Amino acid sequence: MMPTPVIVLKEGTDTSQGVPQLVSNINACQVIAEAVRTTLGPRGMDKLIVDNRGKATISNDGATILKLLDVVHPAAKTLVEIARSQDAEVGDGTTSVTLLAAEFLKQLKSYVEEGLHAQTIIRAFRTATQLAVKKIKDIAVTIKKDDREEQRKLLEKCAATALNSKLIAGQKEFFSNMVVDAVMMLDELLPLKMIGMKKVQGGALEDSQLVAGVAFKKTFSYAGFEMQPKRYENPKIALLNIELELKAEKDNAEVRVNNIQDYQAIVDAEWNILYDKLEKIYKSGAKVVLSKLPIGDVATQYFADRDLFCAGRVQEEDLKRTMMACGGSIQTSVGSLTDDVLGQCELFEEVQVGGERYNFFKGCPKAKTCTIILRGGAEQFMEETERSLHDAIMIVRRTIKNDSIVAGGGSIEMELSKYLRDYSRTIPGKQQLLIGAYAKALEVIPRQLCDNAGFDATNILNKLRAKHAQGGMWYGVDVNNEDIADNFKACVWEPAIVRIHALTAASEAACLILSVDETIKNPRSTTDGPPGPAGRGRGRPHGHPH
Amino acid sequence: MSTLGTLAFDEYGRPFIIIKDQDKKSRLTGLEALKSHIMAAKAVATTLRTSLGPNGLDKIMVDKDGEVTVTNDGATILSMMDVDHQIAKLMVELSKSQDDEIGDGTTGVVVLAGALLEQAEQLLDRGIHPIRVADGYDQAARIAIEQLDKISDSFLVDPNNIEPLVQTAMTTLGSKVINRCHRQMAEIAVNAILTVADMERKDVDFELIKMEGKVGGKLEDTQLIKGVIVDKEFSHPQMPKADALLYFAVLIILYLQVLKDTKMAILTCPFEPPKPKTKHKLDVTSVEDYKALQKYEKEKFQEMIQQVKETGANLVICQWGFDDEANHLLLQSELPAVRWVGGPEIELIAIATGGRIVPRFCELTTEKLGTAGLVKEICFGTTKDRMLVIEECKNSRAVTIFIRGGNKMIIEEAKRSLHDALCVIRNLVRDNRIVYGGGASEISCALAVNKAADKCPSLEQYAMRAFADALEVIPMALAENSGMNPIQTMTEVRARQLKESNPALGIDCLHLSTNDMKQQHVIETLIGKKQQISLATQVVKMILKIDDIRSPGESED
Ligand SMILES: Nc1ncnc2c1ncn2[C@@H]1O[C@H](COP(=O)(O)OP(=O)(O)OP(=O)(O)O)[C@@H](O)[C@H]1O
Ligand SMILES: Nc1ncnc2c1ncn2[C@@H]1O[C@H](COP(=O)(O)OP(=O)(O)OP(=O)(O)O)[C@@H](O)[C@H]1O
Ligand SMILES: [Mg+2]
Ligand SMILES: [Mg+2]
Repeated sequence: MMPTPVIVLKEGTDTSQGVPQLVSNINACQVIAEAVRTTLGPRGMDKLIVDNRGKATISNDGATILKLLDVVHPAAKTLVEIARSQDAEVGDGTTSVTLLAAEFLKQLKSYVEEGLHAQTIIRAFRTATQLAVKKIKDIAVTIKKDDREEQRKLLEKCAATALNSKLIAGQKEFFSNMVVDAVMMLDELLPLKMIGMKKVQGGALEDSQLVAGVAFKKTFSYAGFEMQPKRYENPKIALLNIELELKAEKDNAEVRVNNIQDYQAIVDAEWNILYDKLEKIYKSGAKVVLSKLPIGDVATQYFADRDLFCAGRVQEEDLKRTMMACGGSIQTSVGSLTDDVLGQCELFEEVQVGGERYNFFKGCPKAKTCTIILRGGAEQFMEETERSLHDAIMIVRRTIKNDSIVAGGGSIEMELSKYLRDYSRTIPGKQQLLIGAYAKALEVIPRQLCDNAGFDATNILNKLRAKHAQGGMWYGVDVNNEDIADNFKACVWEPAIVRIHALTAASEAACLILSVDETIKNPRSTTDGPPGPAGRGRGRPHGHPH
Repeated sequence: MSTLGTLAFDEYGRPFIIIKDQDKKSRLTGLEALKSHIMAAKAVATTLRTSLGPNGLDKIMVDKDGEVTVTNDGATILSMMDVDHQIAKLMVELSKSQDDEIGDGTTGVVVLAGALLEQAEQLLDRGIHPIRVADGYDQAARIAIEQLDKISDSFLVDPNNIEPLVQTAMTTLGSKVINRCHRQMAEIAVNAILTVADMERKDVDFELIKMEGKVGGKLEDTQLIKGVIVDKEFSHPQMPKADALLYFAVLIILYLQVLKDTKMAILTCPFEPPKPKTKHKLDVTSVEDYKALQKYEKEKFQEMIQQVKETGANLVICQWGFDDEANHLLLQSELPAVRWVGGPEIELIAIATGGRIVPRFCELTTEKLGTAGLVKEICFGTTKDRMLVIEECKNSRAVTIFIRGGNKMIIEEAKRSLHDALCVIRNLVRDNRIVYGGGASEISCALAVNKAADKCPSLEQYAMRAFADALEVIPMALAENSGMNPIQTMTEVRARQLKESNPALGIDCLHLSTNDMKQQHVIETLIGKKQQISLATQVVKMILKIDDIRSPGESED
């Protein structure tokens, strides 16, 4: 049994062609949109999804939800793909992109049913997208980059908007501040990998902290570890990928022992291999020894005996980040542990964070890295916090690179909608209708924001249309007062790039789905396919549900 | 209802399937789903409500193997309950996180979360959007936490005057089964923490406190040992007959069972001829070979024992075993030994005695020996059980709490209760601010939140008032569990708090005819209380934001 909700074609429907196929694909996409619809915006809800292994995930993030749904329908999968690509490219707006794509398709359904040729539709949509993107670029506001203060404010605002719809919205000032600090610590390339994210259960959200440097959880340790010192100032750090355990001299060889006294020789040889390594490490002057591979009890005690600190089985990414922060390089042999391959930092310390012990490396000379230690009441809570911060971090990175912004809360969509509708009136025929449909579809964002907030969407949208017609370019939904408001003034700011990417991706996806009018599927095996038609129809009247 | 959960049909009436097992389950979404989630979470909270406070009842849990646990500890009760509703699981996690960090207050936090959800339900019925409720709770929690800061008292943690600390520990233990020897347990907990605490860094390493339990005796026999206890004995093997005399001679020494001024070798290598890790093969083909082997082994032992003796050691602590042959040789050399001591104990012994753990005989030196003033074996009643106590150590920071009791259930519950008490004292060492218990601080917070709600112009004010009402559930539950009329008692205390502006007034659970918790010494740590409020709010917010559960299982509620 594949228990997660899946979408599959009815068995036996191995091929399907033409208009019916298109319509069925469009319907399938509506189902996908339905799954994330209520998560949009500051009044959006979350979904709890349990996977086959019983692991529960609570999320508001469109891409995450869709990924967990395990969609198999080919057309519907396209939507999952664009959400994922939106996530990878800009990090935020994954719900919006899905809703937009589905809404485009919905508006086009009647034209498809009429038998309008897909290429005509696609042409109109491409034009509309180009116009919309150009319009966004025209009206987007750019904030001077050289003004540090201003830039920082801008970054925080954008991060806060991204966090608005998340579980941690209540702490958005705290977290947007933290996220901006974190990104500012990186080098010009702003590599995402260099922000470590750790989770320690318990504590209030505000107990989360940003560490300028590297931090990771105490690794598994052997007897003797507690005797090692837990704090050094200016230590040298050895970064290893070496197993420090008593081991066979050769891995697969078997030796024949003729004489019992030989025993001792073999044993001595084994010990010497290890002790030789340990001594070289000790002699190198390193005080903190980290290895990706295990450090056994003998080695642990050897180091304890000489007042060194060691940690084995350090996660690769942690080791790498330590290297980036503290300098040095990861060694696979102890042959040349010279000073230039050893890292260094001002302070190494083992610290209690909540119920866990953490290794902190602070004051790193090459600190182009930082670590966020998240606190929170439940595993799922922290996982969602991590995802939300990821969105915010991506947005901040984007905004640093590209600092033009638009106002959110549906205002940009309303403005584009108005612009395209006006434009469509200037052109004749089918194209007019199609671009009109595009314009109408854009309204899905403010409409959904209203629906999710429990507002009367029709009323709000009417107000918005009127306001935009009068030139109130940045008017959008005011989620606090069941009204409309100038969202630029209200500081609901988003990087223009998020909207540009979302529009382009959504319209491309719609075009793609429309251009495929034939799916050929192998009949699925009976075990994971749905039951046959006999059990399915259930005597319901066949017909279109809506 | 949305398209989800229904069959969809394309133009030609061909169904395509949207949700696989839709026939089996009825899905709820939106507000209805939210309400069913709240129900599930409330059910969990309700079970715990009767366990709250000094008169709270214990729960008897029987697990699948028929193992019986009697406990009052919220986290333990929940972790043993077989919860499978996803939302209820979140409540279980909630108490676990309180347990991980604070140790105490695991019942209270769940009761509070349950109350918050109950209030939320009413607000939802009145048409307030769940996220606005969550926002209001968030604001209210912030106000409550500020209020806690305001009313907190600082507490003198003074190793020379442990009385106040003992009183605090007694509050924690008050609600537990072991309150028969309440005071003794409290003293043990306080002394244990003060022994291992690093007062300068305000740090307490729990790894240095070990709890060891042994069935038999009375709870009153529980003691704190400033040293290490190992559930092992000196090795007394079956001896070959010829050596019986010698054996008795040695036994006389050992039966005193006390070794003074011990110097111990702490070994992680076995008392046996070295074995290579390399795969090897030794062919024993002739009698000579076999004899040679035996001789070699014996020589090796002797050499090892010699090495140990040369360093001046008079006791061997060994992580591994040795066979009777070796044991015999040890006895012959008058070198008492303890075998099969586990890794963590080895480490504790090393820390306590200032010794080094030695992996090879050849590395053993005098400096690496651990020293202890006293090593003794204690035996219990008529049973043959013995344990080894290592005391008067060089570094007395490692301690063991040795718990006795009539049966395993009592010992386990005593461990849990002591754990709570240890946590509370540790928290005080870390942060010495306190608030008063018995619902006093909750009432005070509720008053503060209500006051703030009056000034709040937006819709969130309703949620804030609801939050205040939920806080008052704690004192009400305490009163109810003590057989008082909850509403009346709580209202009276609240009125007095207002009138006398004394945030230490709480529920007089023990009928001591004063409501002043300061006088009753019912004290709780500030961080513990704050944590309760913020964790409960977090989880409630999380639950209020979920409008849909998709799980592979069949039923959802
Ligand atoms: N304070 C606000 N008032 C009105 N609208 C807001 C506010 N903050 C954010 N929004 C709007 O909410 C929408 C974003 O919602 P949300 O973050 O749930 O989805 P997303 O960004 O599309 O996808 P995801 O974050 O899941 O990747 C945007 O249209 C944004 O403009
Ligand atoms: N003597 C007392 N008089 C009044 N209230 C008391 C007294 N002792 C404890 N309390 C109150 O009882 C509550 C604690 O109850 P209890 O110890 O059963 O639960 P908990 O601490 O929340 O969880 P657990 O101990 O199971 O982790 C606190 O609110 C505390 O203030
Ligand atoms: Mg977003
Ligand atoms: Mg308690």
